[in-house]
Amino acid sequence: MSAPGLDRALAPPRGPLRPFHFTPVHRRALPNGLTVLVAETRNFPVVTVDVLVDAGGTVEPEGDAGIATMATSLLESGAGGRDADEIAERVDSLGLSLDAGVGWDTGQAGFTCLRARLEDGFELLADLVRRPVFPEAEMERVRDERVSTIQQRRGTPSSVADEVQGRWIFAPGTAFARPLGGTLRTLGGLTRDEVAAFHARRYRPAGATLVAAGDVGVDEVVALAERWFGDWEGAGEAVPPPEVRPRLERTTLVLVDQPGSVQSEIRIGHVGVARTAPDYAAVSVMNAILGGIFSSRLNLNLRERLGYTYGVSSAFATRRQEGTFGMATAVQTEVTAHSVSEMLRDMREIREAPVSAAELDDARNFLAGVFPLGLQTTDGVASKLTSIATYGLPDDYYEHYRDQLLSVTAADVQGAAQRRLWPDRAAVVVAGDAEKIRLELEALDLGPVVLADPAELED
Amino acid sequence: MQIPIERYELDNGLKVVLSEDHTTPVVALNIWYNVGSRNERADRTGLAHLFEHMMFQGTQHVPENGHIAHVERVGGSLNASTWLDRTNYYDTVPSDRLELVLWLESDRLGFFVPALTQEKLDNQRAVVKNERRQRVDNQPYGDWDERLQMLLYPPDHPYHHSVIGSMEHLDATSLDDVRDFFQTYYAPNNGVLTLCGDFDPAEARRLIERWFGPIPRGPAIPPLPGTPVLDPLKLGTEVRETRRGQVPLPRVYVGWRIPAYGTPDYYAADVASELLAGGKSARLYRELVRGRRLARSVAAFVLPVVTGASALIARGNVPAGEDPAILERAMRDEIARLAGGGVDAAEVERAVTGLEARHVFDLQKVNERADQLSQLTTYFDDPGLINTELERYRAVTADDVRRFAAEYLGDDNIVVLTYLPGEPAEAAS
Repeated sequence: MSAPGLDRALAPPRGPLRPFHFTPVHRRALPNGLTVLVAETRNFPVVTVDVLVDAGGTVEPEGDAGIATMATSLLESGAGGRDADEIAERVDSLGLSLDAGVGWDTGQAGFTCLRARLEDGFELLADLVRRPVFPEAEMERVRDERVSTIQQRRGTPSSVADEVQGRWIFAPGTAFARPLGGTLRTLGGLTRDEVAAFHARRYRPAGATLVAAGDVGVDEVVALAERWFGDWEGAGEAVPPPEVRPRLERTTLVLVDQPGSVQSEIRIGHVGVARTAPDYAAVSVMNAILGGIFSSRLNLNLRERLGYTYGVSSAFATRRQEGTFGMATAVQTEVTAHSVSEMLRDMREIREAPVSAAELDDARNFLAGVFPLGLQTTDGVASKLTSIATYGLPDDYYEHYRDQLLSVTAADVQGAAQRRLWPDRAAVVVAGDAEKIRLELEALDLGPVVLADPAELED
Repeated sequence: MQIPIERYELDNGLKVVLSEDHTTPVVALNIWYNVGSRNERADRTGLAHLFEHMMFQGTQHVPENGHIAHVERVGGSLNASTWLDRTNYYDTVPSDRLELVLWLESDRLGFFVPALTQEKLDNQRAVVKNERRQRVDNQPYGDWDERLQMLLYPPDHPYHHSVIGSMEHLDATSLDDVRDFFQTYYAPNNGVLTLCGDFDPAEARRLIERWFGPIPRGPAIPPLPGTPVLDPLKLGTEVRETRRGQVPLPRVYVGWRIPAYGTPDYYAADVASELLAGGKSARLYRELVRGRRLARSVAAFVLPVVTGASALIARGNVPAGEDPAILERAMRDEIARLAGGGVDAAEVERAVTGLEARHVFDLQKVNERADQLSQLTTYFDDPGLINTELERYRAVTADDVRRFAAEYLGDDNIVVLTYLPGEPAEAAS
């Protein structure tokens, strides 16, 4: 089948390399303190706009976990003279993809639209961000929706494992130990007036950022921002960041009993790294090698060598403060204990010995190469502007991002592993059929063994 | 906005679609093979998907997992998926690596069999069984599509069984089954290769010929097993199933058999699904979630499938402790209203606006564009539909929706699948 001169045994050479540049970031400031960040991409008639306010999970008042999420969820429930149905009709008539949500560090509301709808989109977004009315009936309905979501999660083994892990990474009572959207207890205690007051305090232009990416120029965005957000006033009060305190001093096995389960959901994790940490690039490369890509150590071991799972991965969830590190998988019940010990072994090995030159090269090239893939869409570009705004990264950060990744060394990777992976201080959460897995897990002798208390999740 | 398209065919029958875009220095390669779970023997369900996993286990010139390693190490992303009608394989890489992925994909098509081993099959069988456990058996409502397929399509129809297949059939699959499946369906004359992104078309044609040209045409593809034609298309009755088990809250699925993807009625059906649950102004959301609060969330969609009949499916999540029969009644009443003449032109206009906007948003990614071009070429031999299919949506009138709903969304063509919390037990009521 081979044509003359065609050697199939060798990978073909690369073709001519074309340079890649991150679209220049334009920064402007409005007199009311609103920052405007714009990145132009003209290939499709699409624009994404997002307003970021200092109204994320970290500024929630003590005991009000979930109030930030309730506030963004209710923006489209009535605002600027339109009720919820009228807003929905307007959104759908314009073909807007509306997106409001909350992270630990920000509250965010925005849309993606066809270019021709940009001005209409701005008008609506200004109403939502600045003039929501928080109707009592919608407050109850959205709260019920969130309660149902929590009830669904309680019946989904992967979600239970995720949430228990969060509880065992951070010390009880600290803000990060609770899920960002709140719990049945905290949601139950919120009132409409508290949510409205939270909005009134936190949704303010000083310190807020409007990002826009796509088929639009900076001058046009500034003109639209001035028109629709120029007379917005005020500043959110500064709130000290919440305490980050690990729960565990030593590795602990946390068992969540799921009788009858045909798989065990495994989560191994601990406190991670801040987005602004100086070793962020090294941590990214290290994580790719450990469990961040298909050809990672964890996946080649547990999936491709042992066939225990459909997939296993590791990830650092980063924020302004230290986030989380976690390894996650679902394995068939009978190999649960062996999977846990293999995962911990992979975690130790990357600390103990330098990664190979090939692993290092592959991981760096992977991360540098896939970076542009995420920038083909306007919301992909907007998410990078959001990171610049949220973490105070330099405006040219992403122009040099790939160089940062490519300059990480094997020593950097090992150093990052030694600092950022804590195999002796990890929460090993296993949600599965306890009767079938408990004895073998205990025999691993990882440390204390506790049975998770489901009631803890409701608090 | 026009997506540029060049379409041609190699001598061995491989259809090729090229679509240039130099915005980002990346290129997407996408291959659709016209084979899916519909082609499986009744005692080998799951084979098409298990086979797709085997395609990552090495070929004559590429070692086990080498395909993935090669693509990841140059900074690319890749995957594959299997569905009822087709199987697709795709790689997106920096544009200087185009030839690398042509080499890898052509080796799978031309040199797969020599690298097959029992050990690899046993390993991937274990992985796929864990995929089934994770996605279906250990997941609340995880078997909804398997159950709906079984209820919507008769036992001799190729859509009667799920893509993931049964554990029993996965266990029974032999190396000979895998080899036969490859030799029957994986041939250039049963595939569509699409490139989208940053490449020079003349150079791309040369490289495609270089790597795929020498692979010989395969034998004619055998007809589908069973009885793909549904005559009559409608069920002729109401079919019900209630599943009691490991679910946290009740949930209701309602499904109807409808004309296949590509027919005029299919476009009316897609618009109807938008009217029902396309956005928060849509009927089921406005009336049942926001208004009467009988559901916590709703969804409605049509399946873009081409063999015999598609389906329109609506779903509603029931609040804890509430009777799903009330939501079922309310959903059916709302859907009956579509046939009652209450649809106006502005509502249809709004639905089509949403479809149109999402279409443009999706096309921003070269891999999404490539996938759509492969799909339209596989099903309709017409990649240009990527630019013109929206006209078919724009042509749908309020009256078309009403006629479609009256014809197909009635009680004589309905499947109702209800999930209830409680001790596991199955009961057809």
